[in-house]
Amino acid sequence: MGRVIRNYEEGDKITPLTKELTQEAINLFEGSAGNTGPSQFTDEHAARETLGTEGTVASGRMSLTFAIEMMRRHFGPEVFNHTGSVDLRFLRPVRPGDTITFSGTVTGTSREANGSRVAVDIEVKNQRGDTTGVGQGSAIVPNAFLPADEG
Amino acid sequence: MSELDNKVELDWDALEVGETFDKFEYTLTQDMIDTYRQGVMDPEASFPTISHKVDVRQYNSKYTDAGSVNARCAFHCYNPPRAGKRLIVTAWIADKYLRRGKNYIVTEAISVDEDGRLIDRVITHELKQPSEVGKKWGG
Repeated sequence: MGRVIRNYEEGDKITPLTKELTQEAINLFEGSAGNTGPSQFTDEHAARETLGTEGTVASGRMSLTFAIEMMRRHFGPEVFNHTGSVDLRFLRPVRPGDTITFSGTVTGTSREANGSRVAVDIEVKNQRGDTTGVGQGSAIVPNAFLPADEG
Repeated sequence: MSELDNKVELDWDALEVGETFDKFEYTLTQDMIDTYRQGVMDPEASFPTISHKVDVRQYNSKYTDAGSVNARCAFHCYNPPRAGKRLIVTAWIADKYLRRGKNYIVTEAISVDEDGRLIDRVITHELKQPSEVGKKWGG
């Protein structure tokens, strides 16, 4: 991917990202770290015992991952993978079968030593319109990635 | 003696903010990265370290409790990890707090690879009464 040069302004919308959660995806996420034993994420009985829910839930870290993907797509991996951050609060469970959509709005920019910090408000909603997560993200965009008059 | 026998039952009041756990090391394999990318449906996902939950791994090795629910998580990206590299994790108890009568523990971890590259930092707020999920949101 080539270098993306763009300016960032308060109110800019981040391109939304939608993910359909399946139990298979959850199992792969957990299994990728070697977590193969039953857990509230992979086993209905464990979920009932631990959480008191009828079924499994997705780890909040999956939502975190998706928020990071949305931000990375917006800022580009050359920027976000080195200066990016996301801080997400989980408000409702996300379950297999849910479709969740991440959206973001730029809330401000501030000068840093070698670039500009761009702050973003992040919201996550499920297919019923319930908010499952909210938070903030940011990236420090180096001067080389900003239009000349902003560098 | 089982692993469980060696664990300490969590006493939330006695838990000390600042407690730093033994370093945890693991090697990130290409298979781990591929599986993670499949799970998150993103072939360019760059931080498979997220699924390793390294900030709570050492806590969970030391303490036994009723389980937990992730209430909040922050992740800082510094350098994507590389397959085949050993990662060294330092984790500690960053905070604990009581909110609406519920106990929370905040863990924090920094990962560095064997070459000294800073990889990421993760901070997690865990609710230590996980059954609240079922009570609040039903089955």
